[in-house]
Amino acid sequence: MSKNNQKKQNLNFGILWQRYGTAGIFLLLVVILAIAKPSSIFTSSSVPQILKQSSVNILLALGEFFAILIAGIDLSVGAVAGLSGLLTAQMMVMGVPVWVAVVIGILLGTVAGFLNGFLVNKMDLHPFIITLGTQSIYQGLMLVISKSQNIYGFPVTFTKTMSASVGFVPVTVIIALAAAVILWFFTTKCKVGRNIYALGGNKEAAWYSGVNTKLHTLVVFMISGTCAGLAGIVLLGRVGAAAPTAGTGYETYAIAASIIGGTSFMGGKGKIPGVVIGGLIIGIINYGMTALTIPSSYQKIVMGALIIISVAIDHFVASKK
Amino acid sequence: METLVKMEHVTKEFPGVRALDNISFDIRPGEVHILLGENGAGKSTLMKILSGVYQPTSGKIYLKGKEYDYLTPKDSYENGISIIYQELSVINELSILENLFVGKLPSKKVAGISLVDYKLMNEKAKAVLDKVGIKRSPNTMVEDISISEKQQCEIAKALVSNADVIIMDEPTTSLTTSETEHLFKIIHQLKKEGKGIVYISHKMDEIKKIGDRVTVLKDGTYVGTREVKDVSVDDMIKMMVGREIKGTYHNTESEDLSKEPVIFEVKNITRKDNKVEDVSFQLHKGEILGFAGLVGSGRSELMNAIFGAEPKKSGEVFIEGKKVDIKNPYSAIKHGLAMVTENRRETGFLNNFSIKQNISIVPFIKTSKCQGLIGLVDNKAENEFAAKEKADMNIKCRDVEQNITELSGGNQQKVILGKWMAAESKIIIFDEPTKGIDVGSKSEIYVLMRRLASQGKGVVMVSSELPELLSVCDRICVFRDGKIRMTYDIAEATEENIVKTSTGE
Repeated sequence: MSKNNQKKQNLNFGILWQRYGTAGIFLLLVVILAIAKPSSIFTSSSVPQILKQSSVNILLALGEFFAILIAGIDLSVGAVAGLSGLLTAQMMVMGVPVWVAVVIGILLGTVAGFLNGFLVNKMDLHPFIITLGTQSIYQGLMLVISKSQNIYGFPVTFTKTMSASVGFVPVTVIIALAAAVILWFFTTKCKVGRNIYALGGNKEAAWYSGVNTKLHTLVVFMISGTCAGLAGIVLLGRVGAAAPTAGTGYETYAIAASIIGGTSFMGGKGKIPGVVIGGLIIGIINYGMTALTIPSSYQKIVMGALIIISVAIDHFVASKK
Repeated sequence: METLVKMEHVTKEFPGVRALDNISFDIRPGEVHILLGENGAGKSTLMKILSGVYQPTSGKIYLKGKEYDYLTPKDSYENGISIIYQELSVINELSILENLFVGKLPSKKVAGISLVDYKLMNEKAKAVLDKVGIKRSPNTMVEDISISEKQQCEIAKALVSNADVIIMDEPTTSLTTSETEHLFKIIHQLKKEGKGIVYISHKMDEIKKIGDRVTVLKDGTYVGTREVKDVSVDDMIKMMVGREIKGTYHNTESEDLSKEPVIFEVKNITRKDNKVEDVSFQLHKGEILGFAGLVGSGRSELMNAIFGAEPKKSGEVFIEGKKVDIKNPYSAIKHGLAMVTENRRETGFLNNFSIKQNISIVPFIKTSKCQGLIGLVDNKAENEFAAKEKADMNIKCRDVEQNITELSGGNQQKVILGKWMAAESKIIIFDEPTKGIDVGSKSEIYVLMRRLASQGKGVVMVSSELPELLSVCDRICVFRDGKIRMTYDIAEATEENIVKTSTGE
């Protein structure tokens, strides 16, 4: 191919969109916000604030990303986050050492994810059905365990650590970014990550190439559950109390962040950095609309429109090829 | 005698191939006209022209005396032509009754609103269901009836639309002996009523039993039409396969390979679904072992079971004399087994991966631990695999970073071969390796197979193309109904005796 042609291809909208679409949306939102209300962006506290608000979304989206990558979905991430947070809260209130409670809380997410994956494999049903069911089960468990009461009054070590900052970066943001870095390494440098992409692209061909498809499906849901468990702890730290309905509806944000972040619903395509930016986009929409004193009900409308628009552009680009 | 359908000098060209060359064919009332030919001879294409799916490039078609240049599906249907495909087209989610009238539900007006006339449907249905011998209530859901009943349902559907010509494409492939007998009774009945039947089949005993005339096609050309009672089975087979075999890739220095050590052995394999029962074979060093048989006779099913992709009930596999335990493709790959599957798009390549990634997946799996979970991606090794296989396999591409879907079928196949070569497989199973790829790539693949064999690797090949098997293999096992019925040394293998064995004559 000649150099001229190469240049032409680089300027092609489809390729630009695929490479920089997510980042573009993010920058666009920042610019809009900076013009509409400069004081909301140009202050020292704004960036940490946006990051902080995004950290739960990023963590949930990171797990959701894997479920969507294998052409599935995990509708239970919000409920798992809520349940993990609730149990951690319960343990801390009962006097279990903070770090033990936190570790058990995260592992509980792993177990919930394992159960999702196990059921998907065993029953050979689409994850949509399975996780719709487990979502309801996990939410019900929360009501049972909490007796529909808020749980609060955590040890100072927990609340202090979760609201601390290293420099100007909040601890919760460090947790989310650390998870992203680990999972980025996992998807790009580990064979298991490569195999999961193969499974998402073509399950049958992956099986014939030696990928143990059921085992990898199980791993995917365990990752999704673990991320949700971690998100639950971070949410607990941010809110300072465990509500019996915590996390309800968060799966929508997680799915939105993954999709806006460029993950293909057909499976097999998507990248971790995109998902992180997707989570930031959700965060900045929430932050920006609050800053502009737009009622939170409108946030949902904007988010919904954004999902449809970004998928529509993806579809348009793919059909042009 | 008046003919129902007459096709004269029909030619059909697809880009680059002439699928039918000057074929003439007619159907008389009250006869069973057999259409015979190997896979790819043009039988289906001819019937698709008759049903209006394809338009002929040239030629004339006469229906009830009226001349047509081509038929639309509507012309075909209105003139009473009905096809029953091998993959039955009844809809499982509907009742028998609804299936009979699908697309042409009779309606009645009630208070100005068009409603489905179930009463009329039931009356019509009763008559035809009796005729084909379905004893069930017309309201039975089709998913609850057997395959042979589904087929009867298809015949009933043809009768409901007053078909005069019924085309049956290999109707007995999935029927038991008694169900086949029943089908023949129905066909007899239809003949008596003056219907014309076109019967496509490979099974010689059936042809002798129910055929009146037989027309043989070969590579898209017309071989001849005969009265069935005047020709022997041998004659028909000769008409069907009698062609020159072009280009031989066979190792002409015919050594006696049976004295070479056995490098691959399969003992008493039975599948969980019993599609393959108690099959054993041995493969000697330097040898290419072929598997012939009709589609569905169990060859691919055997290979899938050996490779661990589909479950087996019992049986043992030995590689270089050592017994290996294969639970899934992962363990098969670990033991040095490779499988080039029949369906590239569905089970061969990963459409979201580049050429490079498609090649590295198998060697990466092979060097991983714990079912592929443990191990790091080695980018340097990956680039080396890709560069080596691109050169070795002669993959024509701009760049190994290109997505594999941008390549031609032949080049995609070479990438798939490359992934197994990169994993240094010892035994390579090829299932229809040249299906749907161009002639040039085909011969490259034959040469590669021979090279692998001479390097001491085990090569097993399943193919439905007899000339290919005869020119590539050293021995040929012939499958019928889930078992190896005969194994021929290449010296004694001919198209005639392979066809005879695979059709059960």
